[in-house]
Amino acid sequence: MPRSAPSLDMTPLVDLAFLLVTFFILTSSFRQPEPVTVDPPTSTTIEQIPKQVFLITIDKDGRTFVDITNPAIKGKVFFDMCEKYNIKITKQDSLKFVGTASIGLKMSGIMDYLEKEPADRAGYPMTGIPYDTADTKKGQLYWWAYYARIAAKNDFEDRKAEAEKRKLEFDMTSALKFSVKADSRTKYDVVQSVIQVFRDVKIKNFEMITGLEDKPAN
Amino acid sequence: MAQIETGGGGGHGKHDKKRAKKLSTRIDMTPMVDLAFLLLTFFVLTSTFSKPKVLRMIFPEKNKDVPLKDLPKVKDGLTLILNGSDKIYYYSGSTDKATALEATDFSKEGLRTILKERNKWLINQIEKVQIESDKGPRNDTAFERKIKTKLEKAQAESKFVVLVKHTSDATYKNMIDVVDEFLITQVGKYFVVDEPLGKKEQMLLDKKLKE
Repeated sequence: MPRSAPSLDMTPLVDLAFLLVTFFILTSSFRQPEPVTVDPPTSTTIEQIPKQVFLITIDKDGRTFVDITNPAIKGKVFFDMCEKYNIKITKQDSLKFVGTASIGLKMSGIMDYLEKEPADRAGYPMTGIPYDTADTKKGQLYWWAYYARIAAKNDFEDRKAEAEKRKLEFDMTSALKFSVKADSRTKYDVVQSVIQVFRDVKIKNFEMITGLEDKPAN
Repeated sequence: MAQIETGGGGGHGKHDKKRAKKLSTRIDMTPMVDLAFLLLTFFVLTSTFSKPKVLRMIFPEKNKDVPLKDLPKVKDGLTLILNGSDKIYYYSGSTDKATALEATDFSKEGLRTILKERNKWLINQIEKVQIESDKGPRNDTAFERKIKTKLEKAQAESKFVVLVKHTSDATYKNMIDVVDEFLITQVGKYFVVDEPLGKKEQMLLDKKLKE
């Protein structure tokens, strides 16, 4: 018998491997580094997290952080907030802000944070956005939610009008939703204060972000 | 593996030269496969499929004009008190008539059994409507609407109301766990009370905790 080299046709194997690699690359989205790690409680709901959210994160010590997933609305809200608190910003600053993850600073501290290189921001001490339970309008958290609500409403109506003009189907679920993500150990009183802020901004319908838990079999 | 032609011995003049030029078209794919699987392993291990879920809650606008004492009294209700421990304290009916608190926990045999028992009427109604819906025609919007109205009617007619009160030690987890139990046991009418515990409730709770 002729001696042949022990070779194997690996082409199908490579095909499959690359197919899977492509699938995982395309489906995975890298999470932005969050300034705090929050471990939310679990619930049995199966409702997915909305596409566009105004997210208030509350860590276990009661510090609050704000993030908006829609870049256009995020930029607009930042602009309005700076105007209200008399902070002069450039277009560059606005872009920098849109690129950040959740932020938990007073307006007076934000510029200092934005001047840092993105790599140095990880350890920046965040004090949380101040809120006032007696008169929410005195707290900055109220104004974040307030401007976000206005910007979200305008954005929603603009896109709806645009869709109607072009006779396209409009995705009604694409509206910005207001969500709260809190740590399991957070005191409920703190969460209640944040809910109070939402209610004062006349946002009644909002979502609590939770982990997944198996539904009990009846 | 690249294959090397192991042709027969030489001595054939012209033919030999031609054979030497003909190179194999096979490429050594081992490094590529290594890389592909390395990437594959990385993505499999780092990707998480379970996206966070949301619990939708509706909080009515606060009406500052109505004082608390003018609110309708809860007669056929249950009041739960959360205090940050793994226990839930509760009493039935109005605060004035309550004499002692009872304790239960977040387990399946604890709060869920109590809620299921108390909410029996609504659970039965929903089951009835469900059976009717299963028997009915499919893809019939009028029928679906009828079922939906029936469900809403049953929910509105239910007399079982739950109030959730909490001390300053209560955690967010406690609250979400309780609201989740409401969803599981189909309790439609539940209210999370903002105000701190009343004097009497505090007294009852202190008494219960001393036991």
